[in-house]
Amino acid sequence: MKKSGVSYAKYGYIFSIPFVVTFIIFSLYPTLYTVVIGFTDLRGLGKTAFKILSDPFENYKIIFANKTFRTSLKNTAIIWTMNFIPQITLALLLTAWFTTRRFYVKAQGAFKVLIYMPNIITAATIAILFNSLFGYPKGPVNDILVRFGWVAKPQNFHLQKWTAKGVVAFIQFWMWYGNSMIVLIAGVLGIDVTLFEAAEIDGANATQIFFRITLPRLKTIVLYVLITSMIGGLQMFDIPKLYLNGGPDNATLTSSAFIYNQAFSGSYLYNRASAASMLVFLIIVVLSVALFLLMRDRDEVKLRRQERALKRRGGVA
Amino acid sequence: MKRNMRIVVSMVLIASLAFSLFAGGKAEEAAGKKVINLWSFTDEVPKMMEKFKELNPDFDYEFNTTIIATTDGAYQPALDQALAAGGANAPDIYCAEAAFVLKYTQGDAAHFAAPYKSLGIDVDAKLKEADIAPYTVDIGSRNGELVGLGYQATGGAFIYRRSIAKDVWGTDDPAFVTSKVGPGWDRFFVAAEELARKGYAIISGDGDIWHAIEGSSPQGWIVNDKLFIDPTREDFLDIAKMMLEKGYTNDTQDWGDAWFADMKDAGEKKVFGFFGPAWLINYVMAGNSGGSKPGEGTYGDWAVCEPPVGFFWGGTWVIANDKSPVKDAVGKVIEWITLDSSNTGLQYYWANGTLEGPGGTKDTVASGTVMKKSNGTLDFLGGQNMFDVFVPAGAFATGKNKTQYDETINSYWRDQVSNYANGLKTKAQAIADFKQQVADNLALNI
Repeated sequence: MKKSGVSYAKYGYIFSIPFVVTFIIFSLYPTLYTVVIGFTDLRGLGKTAFKILSDPFENYKIIFANKTFRTSLKNTAIIWTMNFIPQITLALLLTAWFTTRRFYVKAQGAFKVLIYMPNIITAATIAILFNSLFGYPKGPVNDILVRFGWVAKPQNFHLQKWTAKGVVAFIQFWMWYGNSMIVLIAGVLGIDVTLFEAAEIDGANATQIFFRITLPRLKTIVLYVLITSMIGGLQMFDIPKLYLNGGPDNATLTSSAFIYNQAFSGSYLYNRASAASMLVFLIIVVLSVALFLLMRDRDEVKLRRQERALKRRGGVA
Repeated sequence: MKRNMRIVVSMVLIASLAFSLFAGGKAEEAAGKKVINLWSFTDEVPKMMEKFKELNPDFDYEFNTTIIATTDGAYQPALDQALAAGGANAPDIYCAEAAFVLKYTQGDAAHFAAPYKSLGIDVDAKLKEADIAPYTVDIGSRNGELVGLGYQATGGAFIYRRSIAKDVWGTDDPAFVTSKVGPGWDRFFVAAEELARKGYAIISGDGDIWHAIEGSSPQGWIVNDKLFIDPTREDFLDIAKMMLEKGYTNDTQDWGDAWFADMKDAGEKKVFGFFGPAWLINYVMAGNSGGSKPGEGTYGDWAVCEPPVGFFWGGTWVIANDKSPVKDAVGKVIEWITLDSSNTGLQYYWANGTLEGPGGTKDTVASGTVMKKSNGTLDFLGGQNMFDVFVPAGAFATGKNKTQYDETINSYWRDQVSNYANGLKTKAQAIADFKQQVADNLALNI
């Protein structure tokens, strides 16, 4: 019998047209274009004509040999790690407090909003704000340190490599721990309440519940936070660029800032910038896959494998 | 109700689509209707156009203005795109700042520029008549052919505090201070020592002296397609270190909060002076002096004298598009801005601050002829006529030591100089790291 009525599926397609068109024009096409020009001689302002190099991987070789690129990768890894460890720790701690069944944190909503707030402000504003805060020879941080007698005279923070890295990492941490916390709380709320109840009845204390129930159940969410944060971290650009423009002495130059400099700081090396961004893309892919494999639920995988083996034998219909 | 809503929404959508179609049609129609497309990074030149139309009522072109600030490097990419795209909406006249003007007059984007001669301007006669500062011509010339000129002259002077000069040397006479701080850096540092003994810093930070050193070096960063560190510029490493060690500065960074604070005595030590052109006085120092009339803050306690070495800093160049369909009209406008030395030329109004009526901001202009008949007396400078110093200053300036990479290379250089001056690395290491950065980021030969 022919099913009469409206086919709602077509509305799905119709409503997704604007996104698909925008995506193809503004995301997919530029991405593919980037892949292509990484193998070409396209450099210089206002040029659009290009040809594939006789050695297509020449740009990649140059970028591999580029000392500044290696420094920028190292910086990115260091700054991201410096930001992620405190970020996930604090986010988990806050999640535990906000979701515990032992006590109720008063004015939770207000706290969550306040903690999330830094994420709403534009990163550019915060970077410039911190640049002023750590100003030298005059700046609030220096004023406080001198007034309390912790240092004899103002410190030139903008020349200290580790301070600069630390500030960038701190901004990143401070902007994103609220976001991670919200995601983790959502994850905890998704856990079956009966599990917690059972644990409580069995006499488990809060710490045990957190480490034995919450955390293992939260693994996929933590993995999600880890991977999105890593992708975001590897693309870190606006904060280091605007805080000290990659300085001092390349201490906060991230790989994205390096790519930007290749393309737009004077020589318009579009081809090398593309090659560098493809390398960063590969790094992101490799790391994401590695993390994914590392963090996946081993028991579940084993279970699935057994199921498949059973199916092959025709045991399960 | 819902149905009505749907109709309204779709009507709005259709209307907005149709609007853009109409707008497209209008732009094309306008091409026949005499439009000049003008691109700039401030409202300076667009404002001049209002005056131009007021002075020339029978000039029947409309100006279609696009202003994009240079902040975050937004102006150049947008302008490059517009020039490359061409068509009816391509810029006919566009402005370029000193930091990147060479790209548009001699560098990667020079092929877009129209020679002034092709605009119907009698360049040679007019240049002589207006007595244009030679460095603006150097910068605006493509293989000896003039394609861009500025209206400002940005030759630099040393801007110093009268009260400090009186305290240290017993006089604030510009001629005397000129002989104290120059000529040459050796005399400047003797003066710095005398000031330091009385507890003053001669300048705010090493960035101040850098503009003078950069502008006075015989060679630019690139010589024969290779990175070249001129000895004058290399000396800056030791000068910066020496000034820091001897406490001749407040160790500020130009354009930082502490630098501005030094203009109103809010720094650690009182600062004697700043290096800069007339625009620094009017647009930066006056606003940061902590006052708006003599007696308030440091307002009125300043004077200008000749710097130890000649230099220039900043400025706007006006360029015409070679493919412009309205070259004659563009030529008239550009001639009025850059080469008209009469009392109704732009530069006369600009120099005397009368573009928008009397009492405006005075500035130095490119035409020596105009400067001679203009009055640069400023309350900020205690009634001194600043043109007495800035007119000869323009002659010292040279545009031959500039490259289109200057903005980027300077930032790498200044970074390494700070590291060396603060004892964080050796001189050899600083120079090696500087070269590495230039080679890695700009693919230039080192």
